[in-house]
Amino acid sequence: MATTAVTSADIASEAPRSDFGRILAQREHRFAAALLAPAFLALLATTTFPLLFLVYTSAFRMDLAMPFTNGFVGFENYQVLLSDERFWTSLLVSLVYTGSTVALQVIIGLALALLVMDMKRGQGWFRVIAILPVVLSPAVVGMIWRTFMLAPEFGIVDFLAINAGLGSKNWLGDPTLAMVSVIAIHTWQWTPFAFMVLLASLASLPEDIYEAARLDRASAWQRFRRITLPLLRPAIVMVIIMRTMVALTAFAAIFTVTAGGPGTATEILNLYAYRKSFTELSIGYGSALAVALLIVTIIISGILFAMRRAK
Amino acid sequence: MSGQGQVSFRNIVKMHGEFAALKGVNFDIKPGEFFALLGPSGSGKSTTLRILAGLDAPTAGRVLIDDKDVTSTDARDRDIAMVFQSYALYPHMTVAENIAFPLEMAKLPKSEIAPAVKDAARKVKIDHLLDRKPGQLSGGQQQRCALARAIVRKARLFLLDEPLSNLDAKLRLETRAELKKLQRSLGVTAVYVTHDQEEAMTLADRMAVFMSGEIQQVGTPAEVFARPNSIDIAGFIGNPPMNLVPARYADGDVIIAGHRLKTTITTAGERDVVVGLRPGALRMSEGGLGARVDLIEDLGDTAVLDLDCAGTMIRMRVADGNIPGEGDTISITARPQDVHLFDPATRMRL
Repeated sequence: MATTAVTSADIASEAPRSDFGRILAQREHRFAAALLAPAFLALLATTTFPLLFLVYTSAFRMDLAMPFTNGFVGFENYQVLLSDERFWTSLLVSLVYTGSTVALQVIIGLALALLVMDMKRGQGWFRVIAILPVVLSPAVVGMIWRTFMLAPEFGIVDFLAINAGLGSKNWLGDPTLAMVSVIAIHTWQWTPFAFMVLLASLASLPEDIYEAARLDRASAWQRFRRITLPLLRPAIVMVIIMRTMVALTAFAAIFTVTAGGPGTATEILNLYAYRKSFTELSIGYGSALAVALLIVTIIISGILFAMRRAK
Repeated sequence: MSGQGQVSFRNIVKMHGEFAALKGVNFDIKPGEFFALLGPSGSGKSTTLRILAGLDAPTAGRVLIDDKDVTSTDARDRDIAMVFQSYALYPHMTVAENIAFPLEMAKLPKSEIAPAVKDAARKVKIDHLLDRKPGQLSGGQQQRCALARAIVRKARLFLLDEPLSNLDAKLRLETRAELKKLQRSLGVTAVYVTHDQEEAMTLADRMAVFMSGEIQQVGTPAEVFARPNSIDIAGFIGNPPMNLVPARYADGDVIIAGHRLKTTITTAGERDVVVGLRPGALRMSEGGLGARVDLIEDLGDTAVLDLDCAGTMIRMRVADGNIPGEGDTISITARPQDVHLFDPATRMRL
């Protein structure tokens, strides 16, 4: 063996040290990999595999009502999708729903956070009460709103509308009102999340820079515009990113309140994919719709993350 | 508008619940003066500054600036610039934007802001850092940025809340000297809060010494050093501070450990007193008070001796080349005009 020629001096110098280091590093890597493996495999099995299977399915015609037509179709589902007017409508509904709910959550959440920051007493109670909608299941929230809040004559909202002289409205039957209603429901449930994040962020801003700004003769509005808002920017962008991803894939609340109706007035893309797959049993096309939603979500998140890094 | 910068405090009281942070504070600051508020932590000096700035409202009393009552005027409208102990720089703005902020709020045209910012930055030697964010600056640079932001708008009053306390010792000395020059060259009234008597002594034209919510003495540093009003001030001013020794007064003399020391006071009678002796005013001479040298702290040009005079510890400053050995017994005395007497009951000067 070649090692027999190695002198003791060589052994004492570099060779052992670098070898030892490499062995240690290797061991550490192996140990880390072993720790990671179970979680990694579980994730692969529960998220990556279904996702890939979805993409695979979208390349087939898989119609449970007419199984004899099933077979590989390549990109045909996507070609159909691009000329499917209902797809474009549901995409638009998704974007309107997402844009308006996220904007409302941030604006109302920030306003509430600013208000609560100035409260001398009762902050703790406010937080507890505010967090309640978040812990409810969206399906339950949908049921509550459909029955207690929006039911004609008896619902609280309709009752208030009647007393305000607006008359009883068909909140979930009128296409525009139905859209307004589902946006309001989502905003009602998730604004507390934005509120909590922004309140925590606000509370961490140093007091003294506001005092400095007062002495620098900044008005309350200028202090908000020039100091609070820029310092809250990371938190606001984070809220927007998180809420956008959830709003794009919202399902349960709309499903329980309007089920996408009346007609397709509140049919967001997610709901359309569901209806295609499990009501019309056209699973291949439904998969293509779901993949389209995935792509839309990735693009929008990408843009938001780029915005976050921008400054 | 840049007024004179004359300040008057009239019976200012500040309560925090039951606790009186200020118990009726009165003082006047002349235009252009460098005025220090000196005192230990919790003595009310920072509260006084915040009331002057308009950041806190007094519980009672009036604040006048240029003879106008501003007690209920908001901080925004007082035309005051301030350097905070924490610097309070806007973390999301560059140095240039930080300095420009007060000018933008004053709605100065852009064409005037840029040169003013450059000028202020040059005065405090940070004109090469204008594009940095505060997080990228060292403590000293941040401090200069805060200074530039305060001087840029030429306010009538310039408040500094322990501006040097976060700097290291060497930088503190340098900045101290620059601060004084800067204030002189700007000719602005400056109010300076510090717990460091050396800073107050070197910087201030006059100073107010705070003790537990009250001003105990107002005067030039030299006056306060030469004639401290009370035992508390005597024990606070000077480094090392004055020796305060309980003694007996009898017909113009004080008796310490059986030794008689002449004073300038001539009233007859006997009473208990506290004798104040500056470490630097003590002399070695024959026939004085006997003392054993316990410890020598050699400072290079001078040395501070810890002396044991019949059980009482007395500190003495001696010039280099004149230092006895540890364990030696020496004899010390002081000139009558250097012997300060205080009433042990009222703690005030006699």
